[in-house]
Amino acid sequence: MLRRMKESLRRMGGVALLATRGAVRAKVVAALLALLAVCVVALPGAVKGDGTPDGDLRILLSYTLGFSFGILCLATLWSACALFAAEIDSSRIQLSVVKPVRPFEFWVGKWLALLAFNAVLLAMVYVTVYAQLQWHLRRNGWTAADCLVSRRVARPLLPSPRESALQQYENLRAQNALPKNLTRREVLRTLEEKEDERYDGINPGESASWRFHLPRPLGNADSVTVRVRFDTEFSTREKVKGVFRLAVPGRTDAAVVVPLEDFTQNEIEFVVDARAFAAAVSADGLRDFELAFHHGGDPKSTAALMLRSRQDVVLLTPGGSFVANLARAALIQGSVLALLAAFGLTLSACFSVPVAAFVATVLLVLTVVANSVVGTISAEDEKQWQNKMGIAVSRTVHWASDHAMRVSPLESVTCGERIEGGVLGECVLWNMVLMPAVFTLLGCAVLRRRELAEGE
Amino acid sequence: MDADNVIETHGARKVFRDFWRRPVVEAVKGLDLTVRRGEVYGLLGPNGSGKSTTIKMLLGLLRPTSGTLCVFGAPPSDTQAKSRIGYLPEVSHLHPFLTPRETLMYYASLFGLGREDARRRTEELLKMVDLDHAADRAVGRFSKGMARRVGLAQALVNAPELLILDEPTSGLDPIGCREVKDLVRLLAKDGVSVLMTSHLLADVEDVCDRVAIMDRGELRAEGRIGELLRQPDAVRFLVAGLDEQAVAALRGTIESRVGHPVQQDYPSMSLEAYFLQVVASDGRLRAFEVAPFLKRQENAGAETRHA
Repeated sequence: MLRRMKESLRRMGGVALLATRGAVRAKVVAALLALLAVCVVALPGAVKGDGTPDGDLRILLSYTLGFSFGILCLATLWSACALFAAEIDSSRIQLSVVKPVRPFEFWVGKWLALLAFNAVLLAMVYVTVYAQLQWHLRRNGWTAADCLVSRRVARPLLPSPRESALQQYENLRAQNALPKNLTRREVLRTLEEKEDERYDGINPGESASWRFHLPRPLGNADSVTVRVRFDTEFSTREKVKGVFRLAVPGRTDAAVVVPLEDFTQNEIEFVVDARAFAAAVSADGLRDFELAFHHGGDPKSTAALMLRSRQDVVLLTPGGSFVANLARAALIQGSVLALLAAFGLTLSACFSVPVAAFVATVLLVLTVVANSVVGTISAEDEKQWQNKMGIAVSRTVHWASDHAMRVSPLESVTCGERIEGGVLGECVLWNMVLMPAVFTLLGCAVLRRRELAEGE
Repeated sequence: MDADNVIETHGARKVFRDFWRRPVVEAVKGLDLTVRRGEVYGLLGPNGSGKSTTIKMLLGLLRPTSGTLCVFGAPPSDTQAKSRIGYLPEVSHLHPFLTPRETLMYYASLFGLGREDARRRTEELLKMVDLDHAADRAVGRFSKGMARRVGLAQALVNAPELLILDEPTSGLDPIGCREVKDLVRLLAKDGVSVLMTSHLLADVEDVCDRVAIMDRGELRAEGRIGELLRQPDAVRFLVAGLDEQAVAALRGTIESRVGHPVQQDYPSMSLEAYFLQVVASDGRLRAFEVAPFLKRQENAGAETRHA
């Protein structure tokens, strides 16, 4: 048993080494390194920040890591598409498959080669970007503790999207406003899909509040950051006047009031020292907060404050180091590349190089588009038979990509939001274990069934 | 299946189909074939006769439309059976970016060989096929003959019990051809079974114990070479040192005995033998040495002594 496992590992190692040598000697790696160098070294010199430490570093991080990840995604997908297909097309695979190698060993060997490649390249990109961050900090005299942060995110305690959808459904039914020709299930699904993106309006003279429960109690020396992103009513674009009030629920002596004045970023972020709530610390520690907004504008005006409660209102508390967060982001990106490699390899086992690359690219574009398509599907769209196929495909792709990227690693890192271990674990499990296992089964089934030679 | 047979096919049939699954050509039509342990078996036939298709079915590269094929008593897809086979295709299909040393190490790894064992076999094979001087040059820059030698070496890396050679001498010069034929004979002497195809009938005649002739997917003739080519009602004497007078006397005696004129000729050596005799004068025709790890009987003896 042990001997067989050893032999199997040797076979997989041999296949991985062959793929690695092929990539290095075909100068794929050299070309990739050159492109990444342009993204990581040359690009930051070409783009200008807004002059603030946060803005500059955010731009540096999002441009360098974003472009590098995009290049690696395409390179991984297309290389994977060629790995089996090119060998089959050139008949080189014949000499290998007549040896005692199982399709599984071939598949995993090639996948591991791609994994190792991406790990090395991603590590190089992240180390270089981090070095650049440090250099920027030193050059501008900014302090790392202020700029390079990692904070836990607490979102408002709201009913689940399903519960909200049910409530909205009941309201619509009470008003006799339910769309015709749609089943209850279809209406609920549409409402649930739109829940995350749903804007609430706070009109002049009105107030809104959100309750929070922090994952960990706030220490005496800590601070809590309130961040609210918003928009004014789209038709008027009028400015809004109002105040935010952060308080411990049920206590009037532990509250901080901050006016909303600055509209340049459509975002307000203010830091409150935990000592402001010292009088309200319970046995459980300082964990529960209530954030309220009162619109102080003219009640006759139409300038409502628009925001998405599930996304735009958050409390941020200290949580780990920036470097660890950067490493988590790299791991999530690496896991996505592993998923793309598995997907490309399966296509490669099914089709020739150009067909596999074409299908992969189309599906990649669909993944990018599907997220916005799903958010805009209306009840009317669902009724039309010619849309049904497109909607079904978009929903499936959206579902899969939603699992692959439970969190946007770049946005988290640039906004200083900690990527939680649970989310990281889910991404890694989905991208590096579950989906590759499904693709392995598919790819191996195809390799086993497919004739790998032609007649005379 | 008879334990003494390494290959057996019964009614093997292969129909190639187009994209719409419509039959295009029936490449092999109900083939029954048997290759025994330790014999060199030649598969002959014109282009498109189904030789390569048969070989590819035996290697699991193509699936038969109907019928059965067994290699070492197992279906061709069986990994245990595959671990006992060496295969040299008609075109070598090597990875052009690898050196011969890396190529052999790669194929050795596919047999699950350990690093040291693989390295030792690689060096012995490189020496055997006379490529140790070019072991670190990319195969893509090799001549066809040199690439063929690498192909032959990779077919032997697992010390196979069955060697399947598709046109093994294609692209080789006469010295290379001779060496391959010597190797085949030496391996067969050591108990290795060989199935080979060739367009060069002289090659087959030189090394094969039995041959089968295929045409349009069917087996047209099969048997031992001596039996197939024998002319039972004719006799040939080969005598050296007779003068003209003695030849005339002998001829007269035989003609009076059989009652009709007899044919008389003076045998000449084959062109290949003459060529080798000429080039051998400068020492290029080396004494062929099989890689030590391939010498099954010697290795078995050594193992017995160790035991």
